[in-house]
Amino acid sequence: MRDVTQLGFGLGLRPQHYPAILDGDRTTAARVDWFEIISENYMVAGGRPLANLMAVRARYPMVMHGVSLSIGSTDPLDRAYLDDLKALAARVEPAIVSDHLCWTGVAGLNMHDLLPLPLTEEALGHVCGRIGQVQDHLGREIAIENASTYVTFAESTIPEWEFMAEMARRSGCRLLLDVNNVYVSAFNHGFAAETYIESIPPELVAYVHLAGHEDNRTYIIDTHDHPVVDGVWDLYAHAVRRFGPVATMIERDDKIPLFAELAEELARARRIAEAAAGPDQEVA
Amino acid sequence: MPLAEMERLFQDGLLGSSREILSHVNGNAREDAGAMFGVYRNAYWARLVESLAVDLPGLKALAGDAAFDHLARAYVARHPSTTRSIRWAGRLLPQFLAREAPYRDDPWLTDMARFDWALAHAFDAADAPVIGVAQLAAIPPELWGGVTLVLHPTLDCFAVSTPVDVVRPLLLADPRAAFDRDRRRDGGLMVWRIGDDLKFRAIDPLEQDALAAARAGASFGEICETIAARVEAEAAAMRAAGFLRGWLEWGIVQDIGHDAPGSA
Ligand SMILES: [Fe+2]
Repeated sequence: MRDVTQLGFGLGLRPQHYPAILDGDRTTAARVDWFEIISENYMVAGGRPLANLMAVRARYPMVMHGVSLSIGSTDPLDRAYLDDLKALAARVEPAIVSDHLCWTGVAGLNMHDLLPLPLTEEALGHVCGRIGQVQDHLGREIAIENASTYVTFAESTIPEWEFMAEMARRSGCRLLLDVNNVYVSAFNHGFAAETYIESIPPELVAYVHLAGHEDNRTYIIDTHDHPVVDGVWDLYAHAVRRFGPVATMIERDDKIPLFAELAEELARARRIAEAAAGPDQEVA
Repeated sequence: MPLAEMERLFQDGLLGSSREILSHVNGNAREDAGAMFGVYRNAYWARLVESLAVDLPGLKALAGDAAFDHLARAYVARHPSTTRSIRWAGRLLPQFLAREAPYRDDPWLTDMARFDWALAHAFDAADAPVIGVAQLAAIPPELWGGVTLVLHPTLDCFAVSTPVDVVRPLLLADPRAAFDRDRRRDGGLMVWRIGDDLKFRAIDPLEQDALAAARAGASFGEICETIAARVEAEAAAMRAAGFLRGWLEWGIVQDIGHDAPGSA
């Protein structure tokens, strides 16, 4: 199997698009190289979701992206969840399994959100230890994504970009770099997004996320319900100049447009990556 | 502050039981910590209410947007989610509505929530084969008493006191559709899936009891005893056999077990 970085340009797999992907116009379907699935949506016993998943998988490479790993929580890791994740990975054979640098709850509760961590040595050690346990349990490396955040902690001592890079070096995980999340957090906390991108070692990046957001003027919320904005495209161009041709996908979770419309938006990512690679080079 | 304690404070802030987290987090140059923490707090409640609306569309149409929002928040406050997928966060909602005032006074709410939930369960419950009437016919009648059923994993069955199965499609088509709120109908609903198709069927109280017994593992003989208290002994076997044939025809029986001929 190709390394995840070589997958090309992908979209999030959403049920609304099954007909277009499986039975629709082939030229449109061919504009998408791979799909990312939300792992939890397919951790079900049977029925149409799994049947559709495997029908799409028969035609496209896939990446599994989860929201419930809770790698930063101080609750014990959920072994049953890891077992189910491993079982799904055995079925899907994804190019990589990813989740977020966050925690989702403590004391047995689930807030169903990607909650921020204080960026301290303690948190770094905690997260790295757990990534090691997860990678051992799954028998494969995982990628961890930078989440959009809305607060920072007074006790944080490590810039997020350093935390991410050090986490990957220490734990052996790879990074899922969400360029929109960098843009959102940079705006919300007043740091330079370019500094973040320039601090991430290219060889650690497994793939890149792009998405739209909601601009409330005094802060931005990562809603995945709009097209990617120009500022994020600019930052993406900056990222691909640094990282080279790296697998990229667009996340859209709400106000989901027609498949062809998202495929068109994805074409823009391909053009930007090609331009960044130089006039004579082809991008995977 | 240790990470575990910080996470606890953060979570308490989301749940609304403490504001102490605000002295540990920063806002930005434009918004203070309270406003920015509020992004998480609002998202927590909004995300759960929205997820419940997706899982329980009949209940939302029945209650109306404002009342649904209210009851969903009351539920989330009482039962914070412990499930790893938000998809299951509403699993205690039917019993919450059945027990809590003022919701318990309106049986439509509980019945609708229960029905919505059964449909959501059937949608992606495990695939399994079904057997037909022929498999039952192959069993000698003298062995029927010991027959037990493996019911289909998509099947759910529950008691209702309203004709919620009739009203749900009307409300989904038009949330303002008129229906008689005073109407009552005792019995049960069974919900299951064949292939990709969700099925449901109203059953009378006798069949509801018989099916509940079968789900609990009762043998055909025990099912007959269950309903014998309510019908003539002769009729009980006839009725139970009729139910069994129906279940096989509708495709809710995965397998049938019985003692081999000649065994004690
Ligand atoms: Fe992302």
